[in-house]
Amino acid sequence: MTNSIRLLVGCASLILGLALYGGAAAGPLDAPGYAKAFSCSACHGFAGASAADTVPVLAGMPSWYLKKAIQDYASGKRPAAEMESYSKMVLELGVDDVAAYFAGQKKQPTPVKADPAAVARGKAASTQCVVCHGPEGKGDPAKGIPDLTGQPPGYLKNQMLLFKADRRSPGDETLKALKALMRTIPDEAFGDLAAYYSSLR
Amino acid sequence: MITLSRRQFLRTSGTGLGLGLLAGGGLAGCATAIGPKTGRRVVVIGGGWGGATAAKYVRLADPSIEVILLEPNKEFVSCPFSNLVLSGVKSLESMTFDYSGLRRHGVKIVHQAATAIEPDKKRVRVGDDAIEYDRLVVSPGIDFLWEQVEGLPAAKDTVLHAWKAGPQTVALARQLQSMADGGVVVMSVPPVAYRCPPGPYERACQIAWYLKTSKPRSKLIVLDANKNIVSKTGLFQAAWKAYPNLEYRPANRVEKIDTSTREVTTEIGDKVKYDVINLIPPQRAGAIAVQAGLVGADKRWCEVNHVTYESVKHKGIHVIGDSTIGLPVPKSGTIANAMGKICASAVVHLLNGKEPPQMPPVNVCYSWVSNREAIAVINAYRIAQGKVVMIEQKLTSQTVAVAQNSEGWARSIWNDILG
Repeated sequence: MTNSIRLLVGCASLILGLALYGGAAAGPLDAPGYAKAFSCSACHGFAGASAADTVPVLAGMPSWYLKKAIQDYASGKRPAAEMESYSKMVLELGVDDVAAYFAGQKKQPTPVKADPAAVARGKAASTQCVVCHGPEGKGDPAKGIPDLTGQPPGYLKNQMLLFKADRRSPGDETLKALKALMRTIPDEAFGDLAAYYSSLR
Repeated sequence: MITLSRRQFLRTSGTGLGLGLLAGGGLAGCATAIGPKTGRRVVVIGGGWGGATAAKYVRLADPSIEVILLEPNKEFVSCPFSNLVLSGVKSLESMTFDYSGLRRHGVKIVHQAATAIEPDKKRVRVGDDAIEYDRLVVSPGIDFLWEQVEGLPAAKDTVLHAWKAGPQTVALARQLQSMADGGVVVMSVPPVAYRCPPGPYERACQIAWYLKTSKPRSKLIVLDANKNIVSKTGLFQAAWKAYPNLEYRPANRVEKIDTSTREVTTEIGDKVKYDVINLIPPQRAGAIAVQAGLVGADKRWCEVNHVTYESVKHKGIHVIGDSTIGLPVPKSGTIANAMGKICASAVVHLLNGKEPPQMPPVNVCYSWVSNREAIAVINAYRIAQGKVVMIEQKLTSQTVAVAQNSEGWARSIWNDILG
């Protein structure tokens, strides 16, 4: 059930059932991930709609990817001082509920505007990326390849730099080809690729 | 990273200005427009990081609850980032927002101060008017203990604290700008507990950076009431290596100020001359919390339940933000925002006859140590046996990337509070 529907049901039951009222659903309170995701909105925005350049959008993120990210941050495979501590907290609270909550939100592409010239350059340079992430950048959940579209450019660029330096998931065999590719790309070009994928919807 | 102006921010967050005016215009600044209570009502005192968040999140969780927010200021000015106004790195306008986003959520805003709380009658006095509540959220921030510094009560309009972002922030920036090169800036750090533990040391970085860049013959003397740097100690010590113009004197509580001789006296009897003074006085919970008997034996801070933020002194009254004490958390904006969300959820659960969930807060404090680099402290918490307990604390060394993260954090959290 989406949150807006839940909200309507909550209101309706409240109005209709005040006399026999004994704990009917009130707004999103009964969605288990709603309160568990409170902490996230300080940086990732309300309901995961990040307005920030270096903080990823969680709204609409598939739960398999968010769960993997939380586990990798908590174990230190993905380096980020903020997320290492917070991921441990999310694991304690229940990552399934948190991931389900964000997966249930409508996807909100980043409001950070990309430079059209950089987008055009990025598109021209993306021929290799398409092989795995697909012509529309949507990835392939079956192969564990994430959707890049609409994520903020600063975040995408930082991830490419981390892959290039082998600082994200070092030793992960499935990422060997990706990292080899990143090493062939000059740092200046990452901004263009990030702008392009960020601009896709 | 784009620096947001207020208007850009409101556009980005999808806030309709017109809607805000329609929804809340009739109430602005007019307490008599608030009618008698017809349904369930939550009143929130204080529209800062905690109170504005709580008001919004009560409405999000249960739109059948009426929410009235009492906040005398027409605009929200962010304390986090305001130290960067002193160095000229940011403008105050870039961290100033109106309350139209909250009106869009149906929050009724009264731009007046609460004058008294009557817990027995469950109502808040606003001048001659009274506003009834089912539950009250008190988020009044901090007030100053002027009388703890001799000479300060008489001089408090001219000796600036700039510890509540707003006109004083701009005035202090102007004083720094108009000081002659070679002048001495003196700033004082109050004894713990006070709002924003790393804030004074970030401010020292910003003033020292400004002086180094614009007035190279000037210096900054930091008189700290505490025995050492209170927060991010090693990181600030490392950052200060770039500022030979910064002289740090720990265990030097300012006891007296004489504005006629432009001199402060410390607890060890040192007399320090200044050209510009920034005296941050000792602090306690906002006046309304003290007046309403929400503070503990120390007469300064409010003890609360760690799950619901209900006051241990008065049932039905919740206290959040910098006014609280007893949790292992700093008096930070991120914590106030987290408390606002958790408290709002607890209030809505209680008003619906449900058990509130046990949600821990979260903290991050970014401090800019120059015009482009920042450091951070990160705290994660859990609730154990009904009490907030820290899982871990992490510190990050100074980088441009941390400064970028802090800008992203600000943009998102301002939206979380007001958007």
